[in-house]
Amino acid sequence: MLKFIITLVLGFLFGAVLIGSEAFSWYRIQEMFYFESFHMYGLLFSAIGTSAIFVFIFKRKDVKSINGEEITVTEKQTGWKRAIFGGLIFGVGWAISGACTAPIYVLVGFKWEIGLLLFAGVLLGTYLYSLVASKIEKK
Amino acid sequence: MNPVLPWYIAGPMIGLIVPALLILRQKQFGMSSSFNFLLGQLLPKNDSFKSARTTSNWQFHFGLGIIAAALVSINFISPEDLIIPDLAAHDDYLVEPVYRIENALIFLLSGILLGFGARYANGCTAGNCIMGVSQFSVSSIIATVAFFVAGVITAQFINPYIF
Repeated sequence: MLKFIITLVLGFLFGAVLIGSEAFSWYRIQEMFYFESFHMYGLLFSAIGTSAIFVFIFKRKDVKSINGEEITVTEKQTGWKRAIFGGLIFGVGWAISGACTAPIYVLVGFKWEIGLLLFAGVLLGTYLYSLVASKIEKK
Repeated sequence: MNPVLPWYIAGPMIGLIVPALLILRQKQFGMSSSFNFLLGQLLPKNDSFKSARTTSNWQFHFGLGIIAAALVSINFISPEDLIIPDLAAHDDYLVEPVYRIENALIFLLSGILLGFGARYANGCTAGNCIMGVSQFSVSSIIATVAFFVAGVITAQFINPYIF
């Protein structure tokens, strides 16, 4: 129960930042892909930079989690083919929808029909991938 | 108009989610697997999503937190203001808000691409751009570049024809 509440609170904070910074907005994403504003780039780079400092510390020092266990960070090793082809497909979806997965939760929370439609689409896309996953991941 | 939280506050706050999740939950930031969890609940007999029912439940709880933030925020801000186009260079094709019912099929299809692509690339913006790049994971860096290459081309050359 405590774990659930912690996760919920962190999600709440993340959602509040996505809303406050307008990162959920279709127009902010278009603006980013048209290189018309530094806002989204500043947001992404400073998020990555902040995260990288902590990941760097966690990898080198024995930092314990609140359970007293050492924090381990495992690296994604997806393979370049999947990163490129999957990344390109995701990028097309990102530019059209103007949202990635977290902002879709924001749109659902606003009770907008488009949010539910995107949510259903992502579920369907995730399901469709599972049908071909064995073929893609074997290579 | 709503005042915008500047990027130099919003960005570091998003970045702090990563150590907070690691310290408090020993979890690596990622969002798209929450959909694997949901499919595991919807399709309990499907083996593809069996493991996600236990490993990715936290991501769905995190998503519920995001939904809660949006539900609370509509009492204070008017997100509808943000669906009125006000961008200069490409507003010639955006004379009316993009979130309208005629675009339903386009949005559904883009959602399918997001879901399919996130699983194919093993992560979305959260998992690859933020969590992956901050560990200098080569595949996450490649995926992030691919997100932006496809995004820039689609936004500039495809969106004007479909909206």
